[in-house]
Order: sequence, then structure tokens, then C-alpha cells
Amino acid sequence: MSEMANTDPEGIDAVRMTWNVWPRTKVEASACVIPLAVSIAPIRSHPDIPTLPYAPLRCKSCSSALNAFARVDFTAKIWICPFCYQRNHFPPHYAMISETNLPCELYPQYTTVQYSLQANPDPNNPSNVPQLPPVFVFVLDTCMIEEELGFVKSAMKQALGLLPEHALVGFVSFGTQAHAHELGFSDISKVYVFRGDKEISKEQVLEQLGLGSAGRRPTAGYPKGLQNGHSNTGVNRFLLPASDCEYTLNSLLDELQTDQWPVQPGNRASRCTGVALSVATGLLGACMPGTGARIIALVGGPCTEGPGTIVSKDLSEPVRSHKDLDKDAAPYFKKAVRFYDSLAKQLVSQGHVLDLFASALDQVGVAEMKVAVERTGGLVVLAESFGHSVFKGSFRRMFKDGEQSLGLCFNGLLEINCSKDIKIQGVIGPCTSLEKKGPNVSDTVIGEGNTSAWKMCGLDKSTCLTVLFDVSSTERSNAPGTANSQLYLQFLTSYQDPEGKRMLRVTTLTRQWVDSAVSSEELVHGFDQEAAAVVMARVTSLKMEMEDGFDATRWLDRNLIRVCSKFGEYRKDDASSFTLNPCFSLFPQFMFNLRRSQFVQVFNNSPDETAYFRMLLNRENITNAAVMIQPSLISYSFNSLPQPAILDVASISADRILLLDAYFSIVIFHGMTIAQWRNMGYQSQPEHQAFSQLLQAPHVDAQMILQERFPVPRLVVCDQHGSQARFLLAKLNPSATYNNSIDMAAGSDVIFTDDVSLQIFFEHLQKLAVQS
Amino acid sequence: LDYRTLPRPLDGDLEPNSFLEMYPMNCDPRYLRLTTSAIPNSQSLVSRWHLPLGAVVCPLAEAPEGEEVPVINFASTGIIRCRRCRTYVNPYVTFTDAGRKWRCNICSLLNDVPGEYFANLDATGRRIDLDQRPELLKGSVEFVAPTEYMVRPPMPPLYFFLIDVSISAVRSGMIEVVAQTIRSCLDELPGFPRTQIGFITFDSTIHFYNMKSSLTQPQMMVVSDLDDVFVPLPDDLLVNLSESRNVVETFLDSLPSMFQDNVNVESAFGPALKAAFMVMSQLGGKLLIFQNTLPSLGYGRLKLRGDDIRVYGTDKEHTLRLPEDPFYKQMAADLTKYQIGVNIYAFSDKYTDIASLGTLAKYTGGQVYYYPSFQSNIHGEKLRRELARDLTRETAWEAVMRIRCGKGIRFTSYHGNFMLRSTDLLALPAVDCDKAYAMQLSLEETLLSTPTVYFQVALLYTASCGERRIRVHTAAAPVVTDLGEMYRQADTGAIVSLFCRLAIEKTLTSKLEDARNSLQQRIVKALREYRNLYAVQHRLGARMIYPESLKFLCLYGLALSKSVPLKGGYADAQLDERCAAGFTMMALPVKKLLKLLYPSLIRIDEYLLKPSAQADDFKNIMKRLPLLAESLDSRGLYLYDDGLRFVIWFGRMLSPDIARNLLGPEFAAELSRVALTENDNEMSRRLMKMLKRLRESDPSYYQLPYLVRQGEQPREGFLLLVNLIEDQMGGTVG
Ligand SMILES: [Zn+2]
Ligand SMILES: [Zn+2]
Repeated sequence: MSEMANTDPEGIDAVRMTWNVWPRTKVEASACVIPLAVSIAPIRSHPDIPTLPYAPLRCKSCSSALNAFARVDFTAKIWICPFCYQRNHFPPHYAMISETNLPCELYPQYTTVQYSLQANPDPNNPSNVPQLPPVFVFVLDTCMIEEELGFVKSAMKQALGLLPEHALVGFVSFGTQAHAHELGFSDISKVYVFRGDKEISKEQVLEQLGLGSAGRRPTAGYPKGLQNGHSNTGVNRFLLPASDCEYTLNSLLDELQTDQWPVQPGNRASRCTGVALSVATGLLGACMPGTGARIIALVGGPCTEGPGTIVSKDLSEPVRSHKDLDKDAAPYFKKAVRFYDSLAKQLVSQGHVLDLFASALDQVGVAEMKVAVERTGGLVVLAESFGHSVFKGSFRRMFKDGEQSLGLCFNGLLEINCSKDIKIQGVIGPCTSLEKKGPNVSDTVIGEGNTSAWKMCGLDKSTCLTVLFDVSSTERSNAPGTANSQLYLQFLTSYQDPEGKRMLRVTTLTRQWVDSAVSSEELVHGFDQEAAAVVMARVTSLKMEMEDGFDATRWLDRNLIRVCSKFGEYRKDDASSFTLNPCFSLFPQFMFNLRRSQFVQVFNNSPDETAYFRMLLNRENITNAAVMIQPSLISYSFNSLPQPAILDVASISADRILLLDAYFSIVIFHGMTIAQWRNMGYQSQPEHQAFSQLLQAPHVDAQMILQERFPVPRLVVCDQHGSQARFLLAKLNPSATYNNSIDMAAGSDVIFTDDVSLQIFFEHLQKLAVQS
Repeated sequence: LDYRTLPRPLDGDLEPNSFLEMYPMNCDPRYLRLTTSAIPNSQSLVSRWHLPLGAVVCPLAEAPEGEEVPVINFASTGIIRCRRCRTYVNPYVTFTDAGRKWRCNICSLLNDVPGEYFANLDATGRRIDLDQRPELLKGSVEFVAPTEYMVRPPMPPLYFFLIDVSISAVRSGMIEVVAQTIRSCLDELPGFPRTQIGFITFDSTIHFYNMKSSLTQPQMMVVSDLDDVFVPLPDDLLVNLSESRNVVETFLDSLPSMFQDNVNVESAFGPALKAAFMVMSQLGGKLLIFQNTLPSLGYGRLKLRGDDIRVYGTDKEHTLRLPEDPFYKQMAADLTKYQIGVNIYAFSDKYTDIASLGTLAKYTGGQVYYYPSFQSNIHGEKLRRELARDLTRETAWEAVMRIRCGKGIRFTSYHGNFMLRSTDLLALPAVDCDKAYAMQLSLEETLLSTPTVYFQVALLYTASCGERRIRVHTAAAPVVTDLGEMYRQADTGAIVSLFCRLAIEKTLTSKLEDARNSLQQRIVKALREYRNLYAVQHRLGARMIYPESLKFLCLYGLALSKSVPLKGGYADAQLDERCAAGFTMMALPVKKLLKLLYPSLIRIDEYLLKPSAQADDFKNIMKRLPLLAESLDSRGLYLYDDGLRFVIWFGRMLSPDIARNLLGPEFAAELSRVALTENDNEMSRRLMKMLKRLRESDPSYYQLPYLVRQGEQPREGFLLLVNLIEDQMGGTVG
């Protein structure tokens, strides 16, 4: 618990690594069980990161950027690249450097620096650089009840008011058919209509919108003159500056109706989500290359028409479950995934983002759309209604400015350089492999691999990637001391910031090689068990998706036993002798909770929910992801300050309030007595001020979490024995179940489950770890 | 043969009155005219008649005030019809058996009189309630049809507009005139409050309009998928006019400006037509198409043709007058099936393939309006008036028409704009008072034994008020054994009408020349036959003789040969113009057709100069002149009126005062550049008033005045001289 309280375990580099010292050989690395992985938030803001108004110097051999670890010969004006040992001459404008006059990127504390780049600056007027405005295309489902449509309309109107004035806005609505709204047509409202049941190529979209490159068909109702460099394509008929089209869009939303096509009794609405997204994507395809753009899809139900269909219209046929996927009994699934896979390719090649806001009681196809959202770095929010605070809060947050801003950036490109003998297996997280091969690219692929460069169409301050590495050398260092004892990793992330400026972030890391065959002590001390737990969760999720018949629980157990066997201290075959170094002591509990979590026990959720959880698991930082696996529990009582409580049913007590943070939900749980007093209204009596403060404290803390987190978690306020209490109980260790409830204390609780408790789990683990 | 010696129809159409005199209970000839009121009793008489034997029917002809067709509601009694031949009860049925039976005049079957319709007979065998039974007194009645005459609830009047908005349409100003005219007619569209309305515009894409009444403004929905046209909304593309009135008005107000900057040169006419069909097919109705650019995209795309002079005079010549793409005939069949009538308004200044487009109107009982090289500042008023007439005239919806006749004779062919649904049922999705149909008769048996034959026209239709009705016209004609009597009872108007339709049809399968020749041969044969009947007894030698009834036949025959669909060759009429005239003339009622064939030419300068006291003496001055160049005095001012347009001819020696009064300061300019407007003087006012009165006499078309000065060539030639059909230069003489 103490580790989780660290304010900033990631430092200026925003990096967490499973191992902070690395074994030297492939064999040793694999003996470590937990993979070598770096979790990095490539553009997280930090007050100490300097921004430099120039471009970095690049090694002429490996093109890594000049950094604090380069050896500099000040007299010869030469720097030696730590990655490839290439000697590089400083260019003339670096002539002034000396040991006392260093450029920022050579300061030892600036392992992360940011460069502000300008593409093609105007030599006559450097300040007059054409900045590409961000583009937002809203794609709105209209197959919903009036009330829901009302909610989502008002959310959209609010969002429009928050957009920067120069941002370009487009609008596509859909139901049985897809409608691309020509916002620039001033006389009356005008839409281009696309069949919902027909797959449509980018070229067809452009042609039908009159944006075809052939220009064979000039179209009606414009031009409005040059605008943001788009005029030659006519795309400005559909994309207008927010300040110009806010009124039009607002009145358009006022008149927008639910889908007018009749729905047969016993049928689902006919909803062509796939075509609508194709149209939006095609429309953005007409933008200038390099324009940062996002498609914001607001979806209220499953696609039942055309490409991307996930279920038939017949209501008697339910939307696929995990069981169906497992048995290969989901007839639409693979085809829909293939469709979204090709959509993702198109979006990535255009550099555009797909955000998904799904709000429905049933599934809408997040599982199928995941590939397009994740590969483009889109945001995803799953709620049960557009009126629910999870949607409303998150959606508003997306457009917030200032402190609250998500810092949405576009067109990211991540490149990794690393020392010889280090191979990149791949990345788990919101990005797409650019298939850039090189000597540091491993043959073993995990996630987005086969590359040393990745596209991140959308990224923000909290976007986090997990890079998995391998060590290639098969031999130990021949002579200790002669070989370099340090390894280097460099992450270069270029992107377009919310103002449209081109930025480059360079993070250069160094760690020590150790010969673990000699001693594992250094390794042990370099272990980050929280990061390891999260990486294991990410790898497990990936394997569950990729490998047919993958048994996650068994795999985790086997790995945990191997870890304990390797790093535990014990006498062979004596379970009672087993102890773990504090650096590993929390890891088994993480694994215990991971086994019980939504990431492994997928059958308790729908495939949509699982996809949603996994996307967030993959894009959040280690601290947040750890909470997803192992919620935090804080206890509030009269006698003490709020304090962490163990995640066990034993923490429940009649005179306590518990605050559970399970990341996706936050539960405030009132013990029986507290609830009684509250119901009797003590909190409003002046003599019971302390009680009032006690009642409020968890709410204040919950609000703090709600405000900073995206997506906004669901807040559940409940009382012991109330129906909502299950949200807490599901996350607690069942130390007291109905199987062993005889010796229960009064006021405590029982969990109705057959799950094995943590204690029993440990007992088994120790037994197995010490087996010879 | 010198046409100048022939009598001229300077009094216009003379309806034969012998018909009504013999059978006063017959329907008025405005509804039904036989080519001869004496029906031959034998095949041999028919073969010596040479002229067409048949009828021209104008089922909804406008009746003067007081002569309207009475509407009868039998209510629960049901409509009284013959059990066997389905003839409707009419003045010629006879009641027997003390009023309990009635005998069908067409098939002679003795039918029971239903209890509710029973009335006693008086001593002369007449029903005692006869004077309260218009169906037993009048040749024309209208029955309110009970539900068994409906296959669905009666449809509301429905007007759907398909409007070309490509660049040429925009530049011609057509869109603005159309939008303004429709808007100004909204109050007068028949059928309030049930009237439905809808719009599609098109260029290279198809634009639908959501007109839902709750919207503050219409929503334009563009469909660009031309290979796979679909409807973008289940409802609201066709709306109730009174409910969506505001949205419709907003649309019409913004329509011209919406496309004012359109630079699209393409026309996805075929796909747009399909789209309109899909929207309308639920209900049917009237589809008005405004077309300006040759269809260039999607199905039904057409190409330029008709400018290859080598095709003319060959066996392939007629194909230019037929639709090029089977799409058009197939669409017409589909449209008719779903009760959609099409009117084409074509405006192009280039070839636009009226032959293909007109097919849509032809087979749906519609009409072709052709405004070549339309410019709103010149032709706007004509379009305005004619469109307004089209929108506001009483229209019969989802109609079918059948004409029955007595035993031994049979209608064998039908001619005009319609689709034949079965052997004798004409499908007329939307029919109005300006449409006439012709049909030919043949004898089934060698000899007709009855003294009289009966004809009964029945038009089953939905009135704009929502009532399903049957309009029934009944007429009787005597059977004769004397060929001479057939000729004497002939009706030149009906004959010319039938001839006209037959000749135009012939141009679709043969060369123009062949069509003219066959027409002339039949006239010549008929007159020779008649002459042979009487030559011997009257010793007339080589002189031409003809019965009084056929005295204008020769001249009308000549006029027909010189009419636009038939005249000359390649150079004598633009292909589109020829086809358009063909479609128009196929539908014209007798009077209108005769006026077009032999227009009126009157001298008006004297009238304009008369003191005002005699200005009301309008009729007297309307003295029609022969269509001869000699009729024109270069000191005079002449008005030529063919019912479709006016030509005002200014003689070279005409007093400049008159010209100045009528034309204002520009009186000496070249007249092609001068528009006739009312000037502030009595003479000008009187002329305009006169034009107005002439127009009012027949509102089916609006005559636009064309001004020409004597000697202004070639304008004078093609505007007027070519129409002086009695002259050599007025076309080829047969
Ligand atoms: Zn290098
Ligand atoms: Zn009968």
C-alpha cells in the first residue's frame, strides 16, 4: 500500500519498468519469468521538462537524438552516440558549447526534453506558420428513444460550445442510412444520404460527396472561399470552423429526429454504424494529409445493417456473449472485426482517430470496434445511458480546456532506439505498428510489433504504452568491466499538440546490465512489482484475445509459482519455510486479484465490457492500471483518520464507511450503524457535527477521483445489506464465505461465493513453489 | 387540284348537329364525336367509305355553366348495370313487365330492376319517376361509385415535381418561374385539404426534400448512388400540403437561390425519375418533370442524335422519333401501373431527345410542354400560365376508361396518350378536360340487323374531393345501308382528329413522306368514291364534288400534311420540335386541333383605330382570312392565332403611329428584340384586351405574342409565311 501512495513513481520520464536492472542474456531473461517491459506515457506533462525551440541533433549513423548520456569531447566538438558509438561532429551553431555552457539536452537531469518543431517555416515571417486546425467529426446514432436522443443532443451542444473557435467541425448522423451533413450549405439543411446496407469505399464516399479527385462533378452550394487550406478539395462544405457552424449545428440538432424508418415488432432498429463510420472516415480522407482529426462516434445500440453488423435484427437472437465467442458461435463477429480492421488501416494511413462513446443497456459492438479505436489511439467510454454521469461527465471532459484538459494531441509517431543486444518485441497499447524493420526488432512479436516505429493518431497526456523487450545475446559478457555495463533506451515521440504545433519529446533512459547467474540480488532490488502485475495483466489479456483456448488462470498460476520458486527463499519441499523478499511480497496478492478480476474472469461480463476494460487497462499508467486489478479500499471511522483497509470482507464493519476505488467504479459503502444514524438525520443536528464530517469525508475523496479520471467512473453509494452493496462485495477477498461463516464476528459480512480466499491461495502457492 | 378554290373553315370547328337532332338524349358532342353518325350496316359499305370509322372522346370536356354533368348517388341501391355486358343504365334502356324488368340497349338482355330502383310505368310504358331520374334522361351522367369499384381507398390529389437544377436550368431562369408559379397555385390545387405534394431536384445527384410538417425548414437529402437509387426517408418526402404548407413555402422560396451558383452540367435524369417513382408509387398521382439538360448519367442516359442528315429519307428515319432507350417505355409502363401520370416540361436550347422523354407522357396519359431555348424574361409568362393551368384544372385521378358499343360492331384500335391495360381498357392515371382520345371501329358481322347502335363511354375515376365516380356518356346512332348517307353524316372534325393521330403514329414506323402519302390517298379515295356515287346522275364531269359535311376535309388534310409532325424533311422542323408537336397533337380535343391546323388570321389595325364606342363590337372584327400571302395587306396589322401562340404581323406600310402606340419608342427596332407590353394609350390597351379575350376563349395553352415586320427575313418566313398553308411556300404540296 505504501508504494501506491507514492506521488509520482514515474518521474520526469513517465516511465515504469518491470525490471530496473536487466539480465545480460536471453536465458537469464527468460528465467526471470516476468518480461522485460517499459511502460511509458510518452507525452505526459511534467513541470521539469524543458521545451527547446529547435530540433535535436541526430546521430548520423543510428539517428538517435543527442542526449545527456552522450560522451562529449568539448575540444574536438564531437559527441559519441551511446547507442552505436558513432562519433558525431557538432554543427557550427553548437560551436559555443563547453563544460560550463551546455545545451539543455546535455544536462544530466534532463533525461526527457521536448523540442518545438515547425514544419516548413516561412523564412520571411517565421511566426506566420499555417497551423492546421483540429477537426472533429461527430457521428451520431439516431436509433434511440427520444429521451436518449435528447440527452446526447444536449451533450453535443455543450461540446460545441467548448470547442476552440478555429476547430473544424463535421457531422454525420445515422440510423437505417447514414447522413453526411453539408454544414456549409446555407439555404436549408442539407445531407448526403448513404445506403446502410452497402459497403462503401473511400473513393465512393468522396465521389458521392462531390469531393472526388477527378472533379468531374462540381457540386452545388459553395464555394465560400479559401479556408484553412482545404478549399481546393471542397471539403470545407462539410467541415466548418466551430465559430461559424455552431448556430447551424444547434438548430440542426434541434430538428434532428430519431431514425424515421419503422422498426418491425420483435426486431432491433436498423442501424448502420459501419457505413456511418466509413462515410466519416472517407470525408476526413479529403482533408489535407497531416491534419489532426477525430471521429467522435456516439452509439446507442448494436450495428444491425451493412458492414460491421454484430447481430441480426431479430430480437430473439441475443448479442454474442463470451460463451458464443468461445464456441465460435458468433456468426457476425469475425466479419465485423475484419471490417473494423480495414477501417483502422484507413484511419491510420490518414492519421485520424476514432473515439467511441457507447451508451446502451445492451452491447453495441465495442468488442468489434476495439481494433479501430485502439489502433488509432481513440478514447472509449461505455455507459448505460447518454443521461448517465459516466457519459455526460466524460464527454464534457473531453472538450474541457485548461487544468481539466485531457490534452488531446494528434498524429503521434513513436520511435525507439536501443542498445545493441536489445530487441523490441512489440507494444501493447493505443498505437499501430509502422512495420519499420531494423536490427533492434525482435522476431518474437507481442502486440504491435515487427517495427521500431509506431503511429499514434491520437494521444494525450495520460496515454501510456507498454513496450516489451527481449535480450538477444546468448553469452555472458566475456570480461566483466570491459563491456559497457549500461544499457540505453531512447523514446522519440513527435506529435501535433492541441494548438496545432509540431512537437518532439525525447526520453533517454539508462539501466544497468547485471549478470544474474552470479547473483540475483541486484535483479530483485530492481523489480517493480506493481509494474510487473500490470504488465502481466496486459500480456494475459492479449493472449486471451489472440490465442484460442488460452487458459489464463493456469498460465498466471504457473508463472507465479515460477517467480516464487526463483526469487523466494525456502527449503525445498518445506512450505512453512517460504519467505519472499519485500520487493516481491505484494506480487502474489496482485496475481490473486488479477485471477479474480474482470480481465481474467471475462464470463461475468459482456464482450463489450471486456473490450472496454482491456482498452483502458492498456492505455492507463501503472498506478491506475493496478487499481483496475486490485482496487484500493479506504476505511473511515470516528476513531481514526481515513486509512487503507485490506481488500477483504473482514474490512466491513457496521460503524465504518468504506470507499472502494475499483477504477471503473467508486463505491461508498455505509456500515449498518452509520446508515441507521444517517437515516435518522443525525448529520443535520449541530451536536453531531463529527458524524456529518464523517459522512462527507468519503464523498469529498470520491469527488477528487471523479474529477481527475477519464472516463468518469460510476459512483455507487450504498449501505450494508442494500442491493447495491454487491458492487463492493464482488471486489473483496472472500475470507468469510458461507462455507466458513461459523466463526463470524457480529456486524461483519459474508460473501456468497465459491471463490478461493487469499489465504488458501497463499497456502497452495507456498506448497507448489517449494516443490522440487 | 387547286386548294384555293376550296371552301375554307373560316368559322372554325362546326359540330355536327344532326347527331343530336336525331337522338336528343345523346351526350353532347363535346364528349363524343363519331366520324360519321350513320353507321354502315355492312362490311362492303365500310370498305367503300375509305375514311376512318370511329370516334373521338373527350370524357372530361369542360361544359359551359348550367350544362354540368349531373352527379348521381345510388347509395345502397347500387349502380344499375346490365348483368351481361355491364352497360350502365341510360336513357335508351327500356322498362317492361310493369317496371320490374329493363332491357339493355347494348346487348338486349332483360335485367331485373332491383327493388329499391323500382318504379311503376305509366300508360306509355315510361317510368312515372322519369323526370327525377337524370340517368334516364341525359346522355351524360356521373355515378358515385360504391366501394366495390375501389381496389384501395380513393387516392388524394397528388402533385410531385421533378426539377432539373443543372447549370442550364439555372441560367434559363426556369427554376425561379416554376417555384414562383407552384407557390402561387398552392391555394388552388384541387382537393384541399387532402392534397399531397413533394419535390425532387437533380443534377448529377438526386436531391430529396424532407417536408415534415414539424420542421421549420425543409431538409435536403442528397443521394449520389446513381446505380442503386434508394429512398432516404420512409415518409415526409410526400406530404399533406395543408399540414406542411409552411415548409413547402419555405422550400419554394429558397429553391431558386439554393442553386443559383450551381455549375453542374450533368443530368442524372433516369435515376432521378426512378427516385420519384419510388416515392410516389405508394399513392400514384401526377408527376411534373422540368427538364433542361439531356440525360447524361445513370440509366436512361441519352445521346445526341437526329443531326445526321443521311438518315432522313431512309428506312431508319422513323427510329429518330422513337425512344432510344427501352428504359423510357419500361418506366412509363411502371408509372402507369402505379397510377402515376407524367407531364414533361422541356426547356433545352439543345437537342434533348423529346422522342424518348415524351414516351413517359405518352404512355401515362400525360402531356409534353416544350419551350425550346427557354428564357424566363421572354417565355416566363407562357410557362407560368400553362403550368398554373396544369396545376389547377380539374383532374380525374387513377382513372380507367372503356367504350362499349352494340352487338356487331367493335372498337379495334385506340389512339392517343395512354396505356392500354387490356384489349379495351385505357389506363389514365391522371386525366383532365384537355385530353381527347380517338378510336376506330370495325364491323364484326357481315350485316348489322338493328336499326340503331349505341355507344357508351365510361370513365371510372377518383375525383379530387375523394369520391370514386363513374362518368358515363351514352349516344345512339342510326344504322344505314346507303353509302351516301354515311358521307352526308360525316364529321370532318372527328375524321381529321383520327387522321391526325393515325398519321403521327405512321411517322413512328415510316418515313414522313409515306405518312403524308397515305393520308392523302385516303382522302382522294374517299372523294373519288363519293364522286362516283353522284357523277353520273349529276353529270358533273371532272369537277370535284363533296358533301357539305366534308367540304373542309381537303384543306384540313393539306394542313395536316403541313403540320409540324408531318411536314417536309430534315430541314423543315427540328427533331425535338417535331416530336413535341406529335405528342401534343395526339392528345388535342377536336376543336383545338382544327384551330391549330387552320389557324385564324385576322386584320386588326382597323379595329384598333375604331372609335371607342364600337370597341365592344368584338365578334364582328374577328373576321378570319384565308391563310394566303394575298390576305396580307402591307398597310395592315394582322394577328395570327393557332391556339398555341400569336404572331402579330406589321405591314411594311403600316402607319407608324400604330406601331408607336403599340410598341412604344422602340417601334422602329428589329422586332425580334421587342417585347409586347401594354402602353399607356387606348390602342395598346385595346390590343392587349383583345389578346386577353382570345386567350380566355381557350385557357389550355397560353399564346405568347411574337412580333414580326413584313420583310424581316428569315423571321417572317418561319414565324408566319410558312404557316400560310395554302401557299406553295407553306410546305410541300401533295
Ligand atoms: Zn548512433
Ligand atoms: Zn347488356
